[in-house]
Amino acid sequence: MRKYLARRAVYAAVTLLGVSLSIFVILRILPGDPLVAILGVEGHARMTPADRVRIMADLGLSDPLPLQYVHWLRDIAAGRLGKSFFRGDTVSELIAHRGPISAEIGVLALFVSWLVGLPVGILSAFKPNSVPDGVARALSILFIAVPGFWLGMLIVLASLFWFGYKAPIVIVHLWENPWQNFQIVIGPALVLGLAQGAYISRMSRSCLLEVIGEDFVRTARAKGLREGIVVMRHALPNALLPVVTISGVLLGFVLGGSVAVEQAFGVPGLGRALVIAVIERDIIVVQNLVLLYAVIFVVVNVLVDLSYAWLDPRIRYG
Amino acid sequence: MIKSALLVELARFSRRNTLSAVGGLVGLSIIVIALAAPLLAPRDPLKADFRRMNKPPDAQSFLGTDQVGRDTLSRVIYGARTSLFVAFSAVILGTTVGSLWGVACGYLRGRFDLYSQRIMEILQSFPDLILAMAISMAIGTGLQAVIFAIAVTRIPFGGRVIRSVALSVREMPYVEAGRASGASALRIMALHVLPQCIAPYLVLATTHLGAAIVIEAALGFLGVGVPPPTPTWGNMLADSITALVPPWWLAFFPGLAITVTVLAFNLLGDGIRDTLDPRLSPAFLRMMAGGRRG
Repeated sequence: MRKYLARRAVYAAVTLLGVSLSIFVILRILPGDPLVAILGVEGHARMTPADRVRIMADLGLSDPLPLQYVHWLRDIAAGRLGKSFFRGDTVSELIAHRGPISAEIGVLALFVSWLVGLPVGILSAFKPNSVPDGVARALSILFIAVPGFWLGMLIVLASLFWFGYKAPIVIVHLWENPWQNFQIVIGPALVLGLAQGAYISRMSRSCLLEVIGEDFVRTARAKGLREGIVVMRHALPNALLPVVTISGVLLGFVLGGSVAVEQAFGVPGLGRALVIAVIERDIIVVQNLVLLYAVIFVVVNVLVDLSYAWLDPRIRYG
Repeated sequence: MIKSALLVELARFSRRNTLSAVGGLVGLSIIVIALAAPLLAPRDPLKADFRRMNKPPDAQSFLGTDQVGRDTLSRVIYGARTSLFVAFSAVILGTTVGSLWGVACGYLRGRFDLYSQRIMEILQSFPDLILAMAISMAIGTGLQAVIFAIAVTRIPFGGRVIRSVALSVREMPYVEAGRASGASALRIMALHVLPQCIAPYLVLATTHLGAAIVIEAALGFLGVGVPPPTPTWGNMLADSITALVPPWWLAFFPGLAITVTVLAFNLLGDGIRDTLDPRLSPAFLRMMAGGRRG
């Protein structure tokens, strides 16, 4: 197990190195002068050549590309992520300030997805092709198709109309005012959670139905156990593995989706910071934030893989 | 003769997958609407009319008008053009590149396969929408840039699935016979392995259409998609929230168009998958198709 762990960690590290390299390459193939990209043609023309040289050097953009890349990695290792070109704040401050809100949304969305998806999936599998099953499946097809950010917009619009909702402008952290914080994160978390829940209910339904067809379930029934016990105690644990897997894969959906959903709700989270940075072409911020999202995605999926051994005692890693 | 055989197939398909057939029909009508946009749209989608700004739906403009008096219905209809064009091009481009790459990986194996798999892993380490945002930022936010950006996010899906097909096909006796008779690797891949990948390719392409449409809309919504004033559904949604209190018709109809289109193509994709490739479990493909959408 330890050996497997080490191998997985090395693989993940290599992948992340590749990820960082590709981010670097993608953002440095920006056609032309990065200063023109940042400032626009007019802004660029207004500067004196000396200013240009100074700013390029200040941003570390005048070094040769391989050196820039090495410097970036070195800075990450040292915990210095550079700073926004337009605002004075460093990327680390940005993450520390806005990250918690986005993280809360993600975790809460995960809770919602399991809280809604799993019971619905179980209910569907109990009586396949019944009316409740049909309704659940129709709803899951619908929720998979509805774009989260649009649903978010409609919710905001409805609450503007009926409850005088105001988009959160300032960040209220959980430890400052839990109730206000909850009001900020619950909307995006619900929207993202329900869409994921749709996948989870589908997945748990089909996995449960598969397991229910197996011999040991028949044996459990044959010895006279109640149907509830058969499903919950015997079938469910065996059906959970793929559901956990899909939850890891769905994290990418939450990470990417939260960017658009935060925008829809006007939540000042990390996703909005990324969007603003992309629009402003704030290269330093974009490259670090994109890397952060990828790191979270990769690490969580490694954890999901590792959880197999714990969830399924048959799996042994040499 | 061929025509009637096709009709019989279609009839059988719709009998077995009624919902998918409905999805296909809806999808087809949306494509027709997109193609016939100039004939169907009551007004010029770009023409502002300052006498009729922010009008709710009425007899003159069925879906209302926006902040500068452009007709929402016409914009939704023209939006179908851009959205579908981007989604189709991106999916075809991404899935084709991914599939060809997958065939090469699965057939050649060895070091090429190993390195390719690492590259696909790296591509899959990004959430779709975020990768698409970064790419379209890098190469400029034009129509081609958006298509390219979305296409890149589709490559690993094609690569993974088609690679596994190629891996099993290469062990078949007829492929071995080809090798024994001295056919080159390129010839075997093109003439013997590739045809076996057509069914999974079609399944992949249809199941990814919905995801591509949503990513395109999200990019437009975030202001990094196809640049305005081109009407796309995402751009329209982005326009609508610039108002302090967005008029409901501006927020509702473009999103409804996205949802109906995605729903239609998802349902069609499910049916095509069940028909063409019953070996692939629905859950697995669902995961491959939509799990990481933006």
